[in-house]
Amino acid sequence: MAVSGVFLRAAHDRWPGWAIGAVILTLLLLFGMLAYRDVELSTFSEFPEAYRSLLRIGDDVDVGGLAVGYVFGAFGGIVVAVMALVMGASSIAGEERNGTMKILLANPKSRTHVLASKAGALALLAGLAVFALWIPVQPIAALLDVEIGGLQVEAMALHLFVNGVFWGSVAMAIGAVTGNRNTAIGATTGILVLSFFAVGLLPIVEGLEELRKLSPWYYFDGSDPLRNGVAWGHLAILLAASAVFLAMAVAGFNRRDLKSQSVGTTLLDRLRGNPRLNRVIGRLAGSARVSSIWAKTVSDHQAMLLITSAAMFLVLGVLLGPTYAGLSPEALSAYEALPEELLALVGGGDMSTPEGWYTQETFGLMAPLAVILVTAVMGAGALAGEESRRTMGLLLANPIRRSRIVIEKAATMAVFAALVGIATFAGVALGSVWGDLGMSVGNIAATAALQVLVGLVFGALALAVGAGTGRTSVALFGAAGAALAFHLLTSLAKISDGLADVAWLSPFHFYLGSDPLRTGMDWGNAGVLIALSVVFFGLSLALFQRRDVRLSAEG
Amino acid sequence: MAMAMQAEVGAVNGAEGAAIRTRGLTKFYGKNRGIEDVDLDVREGEVFGFLGPNGAGKTTTIRTLLDEIRATAGSATILGLDTHKEAMAIRRRIGYIPGDLALYPNLTGRDTLTYFANMRGGVDWSFVDELAERLDSDLSRKVGDLSTGNRQKVGVIQAFMNRPDLLIMDEPTSGLDPLVQREFQTLVRKVAAEGRTVFLSSHTLSEVQRVADRVGIIRDGRLITVESVAGLRSKAMRRVEFVLDSEADVSDFQAVAGVRDVVVSGTHVEMSFDGDMGELLKAATDEHAVADIRTSEAGLEEIFLTYYHTEREAE
Repeated sequence: MAVSGVFLRAAHDRWPGWAIGAVILTLLLLFGMLAYRDVELSTFSEFPEAYRSLLRIGDDVDVGGLAVGYVFGAFGGIVVAVMALVMGASSIAGEERNGTMKILLANPKSRTHVLASKAGALALLAGLAVFALWIPVQPIAALLDVEIGGLQVEAMALHLFVNGVFWGSVAMAIGAVTGNRNTAIGATTGILVLSFFAVGLLPIVEGLEELRKLSPWYYFDGSDPLRNGVAWGHLAILLAASAVFLAMAVAGFNRRDLKSQSVGTTLLDRLRGNPRLNRVIGRLAGSARVSSIWAKTVSDHQAMLLITSAAMFLVLGVLLGPTYAGLSPEALSAYEALPEELLALVGGGDMSTPEGWYTQETFGLMAPLAVILVTAVMGAGALAGEESRRTMGLLLANPIRRSRIVIEKAATMAVFAALVGIATFAGVALGSVWGDLGMSVGNIAATAALQVLVGLVFGALALAVGAGTGRTSVALFGAAGAALAFHLLTSLAKISDGLADVAWLSPFHFYLGSDPLRTGMDWGNAGVLIALSVVFFGLSLALFQRRDVRLSAEG
Repeated sequence: MAMAMQAEVGAVNGAEGAAIRTRGLTKFYGKNRGIEDVDLDVREGEVFGFLGPNGAGKTTTIRTLLDEIRATAGSATILGLDTHKEAMAIRRRIGYIPGDLALYPNLTGRDTLTYFANMRGGVDWSFVDELAERLDSDLSRKVGDLSTGNRQKVGVIQAFMNRPDLLIMDEPTSGLDPLVQREFQTLVRKVAAEGRTVFLSSHTLSEVQRVADRVGIIRDGRLITVESVAGLRSKAMRRVEFVLDSEADVSDFQAVAGVRDVVVSGTHVEMSFDGDMGELLKAATDEHAVADIRTSEAGLEEIFLTYYHTEREAE
């Protein structure tokens, strides 16, 4: 057969995810053009150079450029890269975790062949997704009467595709070498986030501008392909790097032992191997973590909590303080001249104040993203996860009410959300002190508290969907999709009069709508978020109580 | 066999209380049938084997009993308690091994047992260690690193460790080697000897025969029959082969009740048989000396067909 079965299988398993990604991005393009069409854009050119660098706004501002740039550039870049990295990480390590790799390799196919087929499938799907995204650009623009004639959409699409291949290769290499899917996803996501921010932040810090060329993201959109066309040199660098990573994947995968079932070895587990430490560590890693359902839930998600909290505390909290303090005074004074509506257009942050800076950089997107990541994963895993792993039957054979399982897991989720919030609060408060920004500690706490609450809303939603369906993927993607859609609504409602009337539909409206970093706690908004969480939680209890426990794995 | 004699003694006991009792128990998954109209009575203190081919409804029955899934119609009680309304009280008194057991891969065997023990307010660890030693189970290793059989041992210990009044086990011996299976059967008999009840499912008759007092056969979601093991054994269809010292004739065997399809080729005789083995041996040794004898168990389907025939004939 010319086309390998491994290739087809991999492509077949993964195409729905890519299709959803392409559809979401297309909708975003449509909404973006609709929303931007309503506003006066000429003032965009008054933005300081540094700020435009951060927001990836080009020199010539027009509706089409903003919308296409947003969808194919920053947002599309992240969506395509994340989909590619998840597929890359799963391609080798995922099959090992599921135990299907050994059956696959029992067939007369070499490991190299398997890897090449998976890489080919990844490239094919990334290509198709980008192509599917490109097709409707002209019709949508024509339909909405938006001028995009001067834009090199094809060049941008090509960059988008190559960028996806690159991140997929990185994840595939890490997965193939370690055999651990979570490590591959976690490490690649970490590199991606860092490199994304490096390209945006480094140019506005004096003297560090050239460092951004170390970031892979620079070779994706650093040349502004939407206006300047394909930067073949940059693409060559990305493709060469992809080839190196794939070669590493082949070398690593061919050398090592196949894992029978991936079992995470935590640091505590390693220390436990030492007989002298065993007694103390044993309690921490062993008996303590299995003392109850909530303790085990804590233990199961400790790594995710640690990474998320550390990122919020360090990068998006502490470091942004001195970064702000280091911004050039000219740049800052330029912001003061900008009209309020214009600032709303780019996410609401008035960068002439530290509050605006932190609202824009930390609380606008990353803070809710971090807390929702934690709560949605935990909420989806709480009930549906035990069912997918087929452990729910055994758990329920114990004298534990179904409601108690829901309550203990939900309580742990709430505690974790609070911990992410505390890490964010501590980071921002420390950053404020370090950068001598003089922000109100009470307001920081209020904003972090609202961040926790918005996280709980979507966590409880994931819990409820999982309680109703017993399917982890439906719960996780349902909650994540809802969060994405509502975040989009809240962002666009700021600039579109039509959407402003329905802005209150989005939970995010009750999170930053009152500008809590400047104005402090809005108890009414907090009440709405709490009420929503309680409703979803109550729904979880009712749905799970009534339902048959699923026996089979996902499918 | 000592085991078989014990089994027959057990069958007489415990007629007074019902460990499991279902009436018209029915479960449909949408339009698909799970089980239909199952009337099951398991006596206290007996070992009850629940037998059926794959997909017959064994697991559906067990999951309904455990309130994992809810019956479409009918009722069920365990130890006199309603399986849905009084599920909590039931769970305090049962031990369970699900079919196709899954445990938490990141926990060691001991952690796993601690987790479940804590939900019941503790466990007698010396008994756990005794069980682990009997089954040769290493509880210090992570469950995810264990082979299927060794993982199953952790599941077995988990079910037995609280000395439950009723053990419900869905194909508990899958993956266990013969030596450990024997040890498992000893454990099961001990539970019954203490007056506690064991309900275990299987798709092989031989396995159930060794431990069970009575056997229920389920097929296509319906309980076909409940039979004592002794009764089943006398009815059970077998393949029997004789190698005799002299040429045999079909008529030498045809007179014996339960003999079917006799095929003779020289000194070699083969037949299907579901009668009294003593009589068959008598017939065989009447005119010949037996050089070799081999019997193999008929498959469950064949046994079922035998029943099906007998039921029809009775009508």
